[in-house]
Amino acid sequence: METVGSQDRVEASGDLEATVLQRGRELVAAEPRRSPLRALDDAVTRRISSRPAMRSAFYRMVDVAPVCSSPRELGAHFVAYLRGGRPPGPLGASALGLALALANRIAGRRFIVASSPDRAMPYVRGLWDRGIGATLDLLGEAVVRAGEADDYAGRCIDALGVLGREAAAAGAPPDGDPPRADLSVKPSALTAEIRPWAPWSATEDAAMRLRAILRRAQVVGAHVHIDMESLDSREATLALAGSVLAEEEFRAGPSAGVVLQAYLRDATEIAEQMLDLADRREAPLSIRLVKGAYWDHERIESTEHGWPEPVFATRRATDRNFEALTRTLLDARPRIRLAIGSHNIRSIAHALAYADGTAAGRDGLEFQVLRGLGDELAVAIHGCGARARVYTPVGDLIAGMAYLVRRLLENTSNDSFLVTRGRTADLETLLERP
Amino acid sequence: MSDFVNTPTLDFRRPPVRDQVGAALAELDARLPLAAPVRVGDDSRTAEELVSADPGRTDRAVALAAVASSEEVDEAVTLAAGEGRRAWSARPAAERAQVLERAAGILQERRLEVAALEVRECAKPWREADADVCEAIDFLRYYAARAIDLDAGAEVTSIPGEANRMGYAPLGVVAVIAPWNFPVAILCGMTAGALAAGNAVVMKPAEQSPGCGALLADVLLAAGVPAAALAITQGEGKTGAALVEHPLVDAIAFTGSLPVGAGIVESAARLAPGQRHFKRVLAELGGKNCAYVDGDADLDDAIPALMAGAFGFAGQKCSATSRVLVHESRIDELAERMSGAVEALSVGQAERLETDVPPLIDADAKERLDAAAEQAASEGTVLARADAPAGEQGWFVAPALVGGLPESSSLLDTELFGPLVTVEAVGDAEEALARIDALPFALTGGVHSRDPVTIRRFAEATPVGNLYVNRGMTGAMVGRQPFGGNRLSGTGSKAGGPDYLLGFVEPRVVSERTVRHGLIV
Repeated sequence: METVGSQDRVEASGDLEATVLQRGRELVAAEPRRSPLRALDDAVTRRISSRPAMRSAFYRMVDVAPVCSSPRELGAHFVAYLRGGRPPGPLGASALGLALALANRIAGRRFIVASSPDRAMPYVRGLWDRGIGATLDLLGEAVVRAGEADDYAGRCIDALGVLGREAAAAGAPPDGDPPRADLSVKPSALTAEIRPWAPWSATEDAAMRLRAILRRAQVVGAHVHIDMESLDSREATLALAGSVLAEEEFRAGPSAGVVLQAYLRDATEIAEQMLDLADRREAPLSIRLVKGAYWDHERIESTEHGWPEPVFATRRATDRNFEALTRTLLDARPRIRLAIGSHNIRSIAHALAYADGTAAGRDGLEFQVLRGLGDELAVAIHGCGARARVYTPVGDLIAGMAYLVRRLLENTSNDSFLVTRGRTADLETLLERP
Repeated sequence: MSDFVNTPTLDFRRPPVRDQVGAALAELDARLPLAAPVRVGDDSRTAEELVSADPGRTDRAVALAAVASSEEVDEAVTLAAGEGRRAWSARPAAERAQVLERAAGILQERRLEVAALEVRECAKPWREADADVCEAIDFLRYYAARAIDLDAGAEVTSIPGEANRMGYAPLGVVAVIAPWNFPVAILCGMTAGALAAGNAVVMKPAEQSPGCGALLADVLLAAGVPAAALAITQGEGKTGAALVEHPLVDAIAFTGSLPVGAGIVESAARLAPGQRHFKRVLAELGGKNCAYVDGDADLDDAIPALMAGAFGFAGQKCSATSRVLVHESRIDELAERMSGAVEALSVGQAERLETDVPPLIDADAKERLDAAAEQAASEGTVLARADAPAGEQGWFVAPALVGGLPESSSLLDTELFGPLVTVEAVGDAEEALARIDALPFALTGGVHSRDPVTIRRFAEATPVGNLYVNRGMTGAMVGRQPFGGNRLSGTGSKAGGPDYLLGFVEPRVVSERTVRHGLIV
């Protein structure tokens, strides 16, 4: 109801679209030029991805790189990917492997800022100095046993310590801003017991570790954001957040949040659940609105089982839903804070334009981008007078490989806004209503 | 045929689905125990000669079965060989296919009830029980379609003046002897294959799952299979032996253990006085299934796949992962992570959705696996065990991960059919292939590798009937992964595959001269 009402209102006034265009132009004008190295990197990646066989070989090589014990082994894998499984010749594998390993390191560092929170701090401080926030994401292997979940929770607690210390040194954020210290937490890494078909079975095990993390966040005054992964862990994640964040001990703090994926057909119902959680909290709940990064996975899994596809089939439909949810959630402030997690200039401009037309203005609204993909955009958003935060993965390359491959694929997918943007000079087209 | 679509399983991630299955189980419980009669023609005899109990609560009787006497077996086969085969084989293939389609529809409507019965009678966890019902439906539909294909006959060359045709005729009477681990799907698959091809069937469900067998017989009869063409004889080994030995049986479709299968092959080879045909045996037997984890494998993916393959339904699948061969560079990492994963398994009643490992089927199975665990502890090292639930009555066995076994250990070449998996290091893929090749079984295999050369090598060199690459090695789907083993794992037929029905027919060729007075007419 909320959505429909607000849509009618802005359409009646007729000037939301005009404001969206205006905000979009302001954003693009405020964007710094990409560094020449980054531009080259993007050009090479696009070239590779325009040839399907090369693209496949390239991603499989990136995927296997961390477990190859020598450059020669990596080179041999790459050649085998190109040759479709026929054994490679002995020549050149080592030299090729060396070059590939170096390329991987460079590619990896583009997306994964450092191997530990400590080492990431110079980068994070650099963002803070420019008025941009950061949320750390600790990369790790899949958790298959309790010890691994304990390790992950321990790393989260340590990272909060580092973040808290640095944030205190940096001084309080500007009035009305959320805490500087900000950590994103993966529910699937908090327990080895997530069973998609029995979501409750993991709640207590994960809650035990989440509580320890939240207690640390209370002490250091940090924000904890509970990430959302695939549909397999969605209910477990919602159950975890829904119970722990509303517990007496945590309902007034620390600052905390959850993630809503706009590509899900039932995202509106999920939003309702999140608003209900916000009502049960004393402190506001942050909601990060994203398109969703498991589109292929959800389609493959549903097709395999003969289930209806849980995600929208087209980017346009997702974008439309994103905008509708943006309006709903902006209208739900101040009991929630909204973080728009998108690199789509239209989506960002739409959120700004709609917020500017509300009484709350840009209060309780921020924008989040991914390190390595949205760096220039963060500067532009900040330059336009809005809050920006960079999602900053930290960890070693082995653990980060799944993340890295996903980001690289995203960066070259035909359906990606960034790719469309790279091909389209026309700003009006990019800012078209979905 | 390539556009066959499998029946969607239930999506247990959806809360309403979980509510539905809970209600279905409560409804079933109110009706227990069920009667599992012997049915021959229009006669149906119920008795309490055999009781199937809930493996998780052994004082709960699930079905009370009558045991077929040798006279009843004889009546069933005789009726099938006479009126049964005449009535059924006279129907056009399309009409038989319609009957099977109708049966699929009935199963579809009753799917929750059927799955609930599997949960109770076989302690099959809900998701797997549901998948079993879906597979049964798939078999009915897939074989119905294949029967119509088969009816068109095979392509042969005709020349001017000579019309040649090759067609297929049903064998006659097929004895179907089924296991309890896929209590509806496998029984249904073998029966539906035989029926689709025009045979009469006498089926004998496993003695552990007479209730599931009786339910399936009801469904097929209600769909329109003539009573004379489908009999159900409940019982144990003696009933099965009587069926196999009956001279009027033309073929035996069997799924079960190697010793029983070998006995059937031997018995079927003997000609009874006056017997005018060889009995054909289609057997799906055991496995000792190996998965190889290469040096470049992604353990994040491999471990969940291995865990599901080894411990799903407590390892009581012929396709289950039994031995994990690991490249020596990864063995420590794999053993440590998999040990932790074993400790995180939830052992419990099949009706709990969070249960990873349900109780075993019966006391014999528990005794066998307890003994295997003891043997493993004395010959090697038990790396990890989960906790069996305290205070639960049922045939629970704690799942175990075992390492350090000597190559001579019988645990490395005997099918255990339970939740015990072994790990061993190998120097490279070739060593893994040599160990796999040394086994008498060749049912399923798995390889986890990111090297296309290794994957290709495995595809060429492993003798198994079903090789799974970078995925779990159980859960073959009808039409997608035709299933069946080689060597002593079976006689080579592929359930759910395009040529399965050929096992139930005999080819007949007719060559007709079409020349009269020197002219082609």
